[in-house]
Amino acid sequence: MTQTPIRFTVNGRIHEVTAEHQTPLLYVLRNDLALNGPKYGCGLGECGTCTVLIDGAAARSCVIPVGGCAGRDIVTLEGLGTRDKPDVVQQAFIDEQAAQCGYCLNGMIMTTKALLAINPQPTEQEALSALRYNLCRCGTHVEILRAVMRASGQLAEAAD
Amino acid sequence: MASPVSNGAERQSGSLVVVRTADEVTSETFIRITADGSVSAYNGHVDLGTGIRTALGQIVAEELDVSFARVVIVLGDTALVPNQGATIASETIQITAVPLRKAAAQARQFLIARAAEQLEQLEGDLRIEDGLVRGHDNRSVSYGELIGGEDIRLELADDVTVKAVGDYAIVGQSVPRVDLPAKATGELTFVHDIRVPGMLHGRVVRPPYSGVDAGPFVGTSLIAVDESSVRDIPGLVAVVRIGDFVGVVAEREENAIRAAEQLKVSWKPTPSLTDLSDVETALRANPSTPRTLIDKGDVDAAISGAAKPMQRTYVWPYQMHASIGPSCAVADVQDGNIRVWSGTQNPHVLRSDLALLVERPESEVEVIRLEAAGCYGRNCADDVTADALLLSRAVGRPVRVQLTREQEHAWEPKGTAQLIDVNGGLDTDGGIAGYDLATRYPSNAAPTLALLLTGRISPEPAVLQMGDRTAIPPYDYDHMRVVAHDMAPIVRASWFRGVSALPNTFAHESYIDEAATEAGVDPIEYRLRYLKDPRAVDLVNAVAERAGWTPRPVREEKDGEVVHGRGFAYALYVHSKFPGYGAAWSAWVTDVAVNKTTGDVSVTRVVAGQDSGLMINPDGVRHQIHGNVIQSTSRALMEEVSFERGAVVAREWGAYPIIPFPDVPKIDVLMLPRQDQPPLGVGESASVPSAAAIANAIFDATGVRFREPPFTPERILKGLHGETPATPKALPASISPQSRIWENPFAKRAGIFAAIAAVCTAAIGIGAALLPGRAIAPIARPDASVYSAATIARGQQLAALGNCAECHTNIGGVLNAGGRALETPFGMIYSTNITPDVETGIGAWSYPAFERAMRDGLHRDGRQLYPAFPYTHFAKTGDADMQALYAYLMAQPSVRATAPTNELAFPFNLRPLLAGWNALFHDTKEFKPDPAKSDAWNRGAYLVEGLGHCSGCHSPRNALGAEQRNAYLAGGFAEGWEAPPLTSLSHAPIPWSEDELFAYLRTGHSRYHGVAAGPMAPVVRDLKALPDQDIRAMAVYLNSFNDSAADAPALAAKLESATQVTVASSTGARLYRGACAVCHEVGGLPLFGSRPSLALNSNLHSATSDNLVQVILHGIAHPVSSDLGYMPAFGNSMSDAQVEELVTFLRKQFAPDKPAWTGVRETIARARASAH
Repeated sequence: MTQTPIRFTVNGRIHEVTAEHQTPLLYVLRNDLALNGPKYGCGLGECGTCTVLIDGAAARSCVIPVGGCAGRDIVTLEGLGTRDKPDVVQQAFIDEQAAQCGYCLNGMIMTTKALLAINPQPTEQEALSALRYNLCRCGTHVEILRAVMRASGQLAEAAD
Repeated sequence: MASPVSNGAERQSGSLVVVRTADEVTSETFIRITADGSVSAYNGHVDLGTGIRTALGQIVAEELDVSFARVVIVLGDTALVPNQGATIASETIQITAVPLRKAAAQARQFLIARAAEQLEQLEGDLRIEDGLVRGHDNRSVSYGELIGGEDIRLELADDVTVKAVGDYAIVGQSVPRVDLPAKATGELTFVHDIRVPGMLHGRVVRPPYSGVDAGPFVGTSLIAVDESSVRDIPGLVAVVRIGDFVGVVAEREENAIRAAEQLKVSWKPTPSLTDLSDVETALRANPSTPRTLIDKGDVDAAISGAAKPMQRTYVWPYQMHASIGPSCAVADVQDGNIRVWSGTQNPHVLRSDLALLVERPESEVEVIRLEAAGCYGRNCADDVTADALLLSRAVGRPVRVQLTREQEHAWEPKGTAQLIDVNGGLDTDGGIAGYDLATRYPSNAAPTLALLLTGRISPEPAVLQMGDRTAIPPYDYDHMRVVAHDMAPIVRASWFRGVSALPNTFAHESYIDEAATEAGVDPIEYRLRYLKDPRAVDLVNAVAERAGWTPRPVREEKDGEVVHGRGFAYALYVHSKFPGYGAAWSAWVTDVAVNKTTGDVSVTRVVAGQDSGLMINPDGVRHQIHGNVIQSTSRALMEEVSFERGAVVAREWGAYPIIPFPDVPKIDVLMLPRQDQPPLGVGESASVPSAAAIANAIFDATGVRFREPPFTPERILKGLHGETPATPKALPASISPQSRIWENPFAKRAGIFAAIAAVCTAAIGIGAALLPGRAIAPIARPDASVYSAATIARGQQLAALGNCAECHTNIGGVLNAGGRALETPFGMIYSTNITPDVETGIGAWSYPAFERAMRDGLHRDGRQLYPAFPYTHFAKTGDADMQALYAYLMAQPSVRATAPTNELAFPFNLRPLLAGWNALFHDTKEFKPDPAKSDAWNRGAYLVEGLGHCSGCHSPRNALGAEQRNAYLAGGFAEGWEAPPLTSLSHAPIPWSEDELFAYLRTGHSRYHGVAAGPMAPVVRDLKALPDQDIRAMAVYLNSFNDSAADAPALAAKLESATQVTVASSTGARLYRGACAVCHEVGGLPLFGSRPSLALNSNLHSATSDNLVQVILHGIAHPVSSDLGYMPAFGNSMSDAQVEELVTFLRKQFAPDKPAWTGVRETIARARASAH
């Protein structure tokens, strides 16, 4: 069992954690760093609730061992913005009321963030494809899609 | 509205409370206004993610005349809120909010009366703005001032006058949800986020009878728990077993997870369970008790006299609530006080269960309810709370238990299957002659699991009266009988959105559609003949108009591969104990497109109309309608729980898919303005017409009637073309994994002993004739300082090339100190210590002794070494390199470590026999360059053939276990993995090229072939030590065995576009979509790590399924580099049958020109049995 400390940046701050290297990043973020954003959903990378950004790319933190994150730059939902100063994507999701239970919300926001970073003005089809593997059980898809279009400044086109 | 942060309800100096006195000692508070003017309102229901907290805040603010922002809604803490039962049946607004609203009105009336007194004005002359009462002379007094230091206690009155709807300013307005800013920014919201000081982490281990909770084996099946199996886990606090309840507790969550996975638990075999491969047969065979709900007219006579009899059967499958977040809870048992944090739907009921479980009075138990993932009925929230309580009680510290996805899927009480027979027919006028409906609904009591597992309650199945919701059709048929057949559960079940009403309505609304078709009448017009409820009629007309419904007395035949259709359905969701009462009215017009070739059904548009009465928060209602439409479309199109031998087998999202974004229909919501009518539940109604509307639309499109959801491509194709369905294969009892060791007996760890067995008979004579080597005298450990740093560095590179550390380092152990267990069918051998420790390592080995071992396979003491140690390759190493390697090994830190003694049975422990083998197969000559080849080629050949010992795995072996010289690099097996051919025999769809070989050996990844996994990953990782030119040389050499390269980019594009998955029309395809496609689909959103393309992956095109099976079962936990990303292991999430379906699909889809693999099931069994 490798237990040497692992250093990485989370939400702009350098952290050093001591954990077995195969520990999924998700548990370190939640338990060692007390972050609530990334959520356990499946542990298999299927549902997207645990999504964070690693070096700017969307990453399913439930299947990435923390040992693989040494030296990397990680951003979680908390790192985007706060209630008083939300990120544009967070604000768009709040404005569109794009959550029911809200358990999948972290994954939706973080995946949108990753999408807009590489495609600032996605079409609806592109947004739907990008979110295809983020599961929502409450059926909030309509509001979420509107939130993506709002966050990318394209709400007029998204309106039905 | 203020954030619901504190559930603590702090007491100010003075307050006004409105309470209901239950008995002498118990009273329930509904409203509390404190001297600082803040308002708390208490409701016994909880917010299941529907926004009920916001709507209740609006109601209270409205009646109290305070701003919405001033109200805090407190939900679900048993110490604080009234007991109003479980949050079910969409009744929070309709039923539970009523006393709260009255309490608010009563408080307002009290305060305004007091203000009138203080201000010496008439009540009628006073105005209230946000709790400030103002007179006509502009004098004012606030609610807080009116309360002052007094403790005012009002007993809730029944006859309180509430506000007239016309005066509403807050209710009826769309108000943003109060909970979303916190949820969107990661503030503490969910029960999953609770962290209590000193909290430990627990996991449970569930019994093998997945998802079944009735029968004598429940709670009595555990044989033993082997605690020694988890002794090595750091921070393990406890292993707890009570009856069939098994749990582990550890300091850290990942260690609790490991302990639960690693814990050896033995169970009695589960007796035969009900076969659920055919739900109709299973439900028909389940004993039941008929209960007549209505018997009107003379049904039997009417039906026997029908001009056109119509007997139909409708089948509803088992479905899952499928919460996105598996259930979680924290329990803290200390000093007799029990506090749990739970996502329960019914805090008070749960409190009783917990008290029963631990035999304590209810008063000692506090249930604090926090939000959890949406549940749409009951999931495992109560179960996990009880689990946490048992574990916390066992260790005396707070314990958080998180269920796994697999446990939530397997054990959540399912939305039950249902079987509905309708007998009836048309009279001569085309009207419904009679309607005789029988509905069979297995019960859904689902006792809290821990009560059953610990034996606190009997696992006798309870028969409830539940199948009757909306069982009576909304149509005024003259002759009508409806009978509910109450029956025991078959699998664990609980209410699920539209409980029994959705399936019953599927029958009603399909049947009337069929009747309309038979009668040659437009289906909406036909319904209106029988619909007497004026609000229903209004709704049906409004929805038809909004959708632009064109009356169609006769269905038109549609042409083309993709046919379009439109369907209608209507329901008034009648719920709660029979006869129950109605929630909102709902009607759907839906459009579908059906692909007649693939069987794929797209629901393209839904016009969903609803009459909800007064809408407290219209946006909230709209979102509930959206949610219901999407979720119920998903249920109708794709959702069905799968079983194997009667136990739930769907344990992840590939086996139980739910609708993804691209498949969501366009939704047009029509909300009838009925603000003058009482508010109705809106949480479920819009789901109820779904399946029938879709089935009716599919009929319109295809002319074929589908009476059993989900409408999967297979069902549609069977219905359209009458194909026989693939009969489910009988599951083999159990397959004893066959060893593959004979295919490469010399692969490291796989052992060499099969060959020895052969040698024993074939070569014993030779072996006996040859003497073992002589011993070489021990020396003092050489002084490493005699070697230059450059020599040592070179030796380190060579050790990496030889991959020495892989075998000579124990898992988690010190580098090269040996002791790694190498499992063989003949026993265990342990690798040796090759650090320079004099006694236990090779510190006493002179260079000649080392060289002799490397070239001749002899120990310093003269013993034969087993050729698991690849001296047959190492012999080719040049002198300078051999010396550098020796220098490096001698310069390492010395570690005292004795490998355990090999555990081998006779005759495999007879080392001298190897002398015979060496005489036959070992060529001790050094490498000789080929002058006809380039320098790079020769360098590559030296590295590959010598220390690199590539052919050790990548060449086939003969019967005696030696590499076949005439099939060099033609492919072999190692450690349960195929080492693919590296020559033109390669199965890769795109031939290897020098550049791709270089990329693969350098990075572990080739765009055109995939990533290195299994035993190849550490090889490539070790090669990092070598410079680029050496890797290039290996690529040059290896590429010389290949045919000339193709136009790889063009070929890749062609293969990838030809193999795109557009329709998921098999279990395997759905598993791929749910489990694999997120990372492997070509062109998907980039994710951290690589995205290996399956169409190009060599393993998919190989002659054997071994590598694919290995990687699916075990994942890639140790890639060459973290940049490549990781692959999770699916072995604990999928059954053998599922993996076989998946593997078979992947082969057919991504290697369409290759024959199907045979023996996949055996390969799976073998790979599961192997340790890798």
